[in-house]
Amino acid sequence: MGAPGTAESTEAIARARAGDNEAWGELYRDYAPAIFRFCRRALPTREDAEDATMEVFMKVHGKLNQYDPTRPFSSWLYKVAANHCWDLLRRRKIRQDKETEDLDDVPLEHPDANQLEQLIEKRTSEEVRKALDKLPSRARMALVLRYYSDMSYDEIADALGVRRAFVGVVLLRARHELRQALEGSGALAVGGAG
Amino acid sequence: MTPPQGSAQQHLDEMTLLLYLERQLDRERAAEVSSHMQECGDCKTLSRALERESRLLTRAMLEEEEPLPARLASFQQAARRSMQWIWMVTFGLAATGIYALYTSYVEPVQNRLHDAGFGGTNLLGLVIFQGAFWKGWQSMVSLVEILALLVVGGMAAVLFRRWFRRGTLAALLMAGMCGALMMPGNAAAIETRKGESIEITKSETIKGDVLLTGHRIVIDGTVDGDVYAFGQDIEVNGHITGDLLTAAETVRVSGQIDGNIRAFVNTLLVPGNVGRNVMAWAETLNVDSNGKVGRSLTSFCQTLGVDGRVGGDVVAFNQSTRITGTVDGGVQTKGELMTIKATAQITGPVKFEGEMEPRVEDGAKLAAGPVSFTKHHADSRMESKSGYYVWRLLWSSAFILYGLVLIWLMPKFAGDCVTSAENAGVSIGLGVLVGISGFFAALLACVTVVGLPLGIVGFMLWLVMLFSAQIVVGGLIGRWILGRTEDTWGRVGRMALGMAIIGVIVPVLHYVHILDMLFRLGAMIWGFGAIALTLYRRLQKTSGAVVPPPMVA
Repeated sequence: MGAPGTAESTEAIARARAGDNEAWGELYRDYAPAIFRFCRRALPTREDAEDATMEVFMKVHGKLNQYDPTRPFSSWLYKVAANHCWDLLRRRKIRQDKETEDLDDVPLEHPDANQLEQLIEKRTSEEVRKALDKLPSRARMALVLRYYSDMSYDEIADALGVRRAFVGVVLLRARHELRQALEGSGALAVGGAG
Repeated sequence: MTPPQGSAQQHLDEMTLLLYLERQLDRERAAEVSSHMQECGDCKTLSRALERESRLLTRAMLEEEEPLPARLASFQQAARRSMQWIWMVTFGLAATGIYALYTSYVEPVQNRLHDAGFGGTNLLGLVIFQGAFWKGWQSMVSLVEILALLVVGGMAAVLFRRWFRRGTLAALLMAGMCGALMMPGNAAAIETRKGESIEITKSETIKGDVLLTGHRIVIDGTVDGDVYAFGQDIEVNGHITGDLLTAAETVRVSGQIDGNIRAFVNTLLVPGNVGRNVMAWAETLNVDSNGKVGRSLTSFCQTLGVDGRVGGDVVAFNQSTRITGTVDGGVQTKGELMTIKATAQITGPVKFEGEMEPRVEDGAKLAAGPVSFTKHHADSRMESKSGYYVWRLLWSSAFILYGLVLIWLMPKFAGDCVTSAENAGVSIGLGVLVGISGFFAALLACVTVVGLPLGIVGFMLWLVMLFSAQIVVGGLIGRWILGRTEDTWGRVGRMALGMAIIGVIVPVLHYVHILDMLFRLGAMIWGFGAIALTLYRRLQKTSGAVVPPPMVA
């Protein structure tokens, strides 16, 4: 990714907003890899991610005048990408029934810290990515928004259409599901001292 | 979420720890948690583990295990801008090509058909069902209305694009436009009758158009409008004030039809009167000795017999043409055999193009002089060599342009089609199966009232697939030569190369009788099957998309 907020990218954004295609090309080159990776993490297939990346940039190009230069460009880009990907998933009804469960229903537990440490120690990044792919869409999307795009809870709530108070619950549940996928059992997600 | 935890014995729950780590707790609660962790080793360890988990997640997601695909690397506004001149040249060429095709080939045919009584201005209307079926079409055929329709389509595309993927959108738009264009304005008001045997009795009068579908259809009464009849045996003994559009095995018109007949039949017999024109695709067409056609007769038949009277011209593309009656206009035929009997009377000039000289019996009255005969050789195309090559060049250019648009609209789908085509056996098998069954399914759907629009749209899509088939084969040939690519322009280049090679192969093959036709047929079946296979795979993927498939690293 480029350097959001730096004088260089700010200048390129200003020029792109004024209709300079060279500047737009510059922005695209800087930010396309990050947005592609974002889409790749959020969507089920590589083809979907490619299509979505192009569509996101087409949207961004059309909406460039709506961008507030006081905010980081990358945050705005991620927001557009998040909305686009989530719309895409929602349209395809990939969200599973499980995800419509009551969000209040999250166990307040204290899992075994050593067991969790061991799990983290043993797993590689690639294994984590594969496990992420197995998660339901909302769980995966929540983790991507938070730990890849570094979005705030407010932004995540906005993107996923849940109340802000439940963002933590969504994230924790997503972590539990990820651990289950990594471990192949629910031991860490449900176990532990109360 | 959780009550305050004051002692080391009562551990903090995971939710609280996560919110603490992510700085989502208010200051007071955060201070409590911080102080608890000073005393509680377990909670501190868990907090550290959660933090490590967050870092692992971020690292795993940020790691760049896949490079940016070439397709994306080449996609940017600046690049698109620099390609604008190519589009301008492309569309300029396309416009020139279309104009050349129109003035060289379409307009003369159109003029000829116009002379034969088909006064429409639209090629689609002329070629398909102009006249009888498309009363509504006549009124909406103006260029302004078509442009308006296109604008509406474009606006719909812009408005609804966020709900569709590009491929789906293109397909839907195409189907929608075809449907809108094909839908006759007054079709909704049409009266329909369905059954094994349908009879409109002598005493019965139907006001308005009627659609009849049945095994046997007999019209003894009067229909004050057009008749669309689909069945096995159709007999018109009564009176139709409008046109008759029919698809059947045998049609016999003994009564009176004030308008036109458009027929797709096995046998059409006209012992009665037709006020205007007859156009038929049939095995046998016969205007009996008592039969009369008010204006022209256009036939695409195996055998045409004119024993009665034709008030205008006869334009025929038949295997065999026999005239024993009267033709008040000229006769222009192409075929193998032409016979003019002694009793024949023809007012206008007679032209025949065929392999054998026409047989004209003594006594035949040819007012405009003897038959002008052009001997048709199997390789007669050699005579107009340059025209043939210009025609081939135009076709190849048109296909390349069409392919370019398709690849640009659906790059991934186009690539998948070529990949499917690599599986030659399955593609060809599927091409034969779906090509034939798709055609007949669309045809059958047309026969039923409910399925008529669906059938027509299906048929149009079938045609689109058929036309796209060669492009797939072109893309495959290009891929064989230049290798695989994910880049859109790379795909266009490979397709263009492949189409250019096909464009060279076909003229070479055409020196050998029907070999070029077989080659093209084979290419069409192959490509058609590849498209069908890709569609099938896509549908399977969509229905199985509930659970995301594992990532391909």
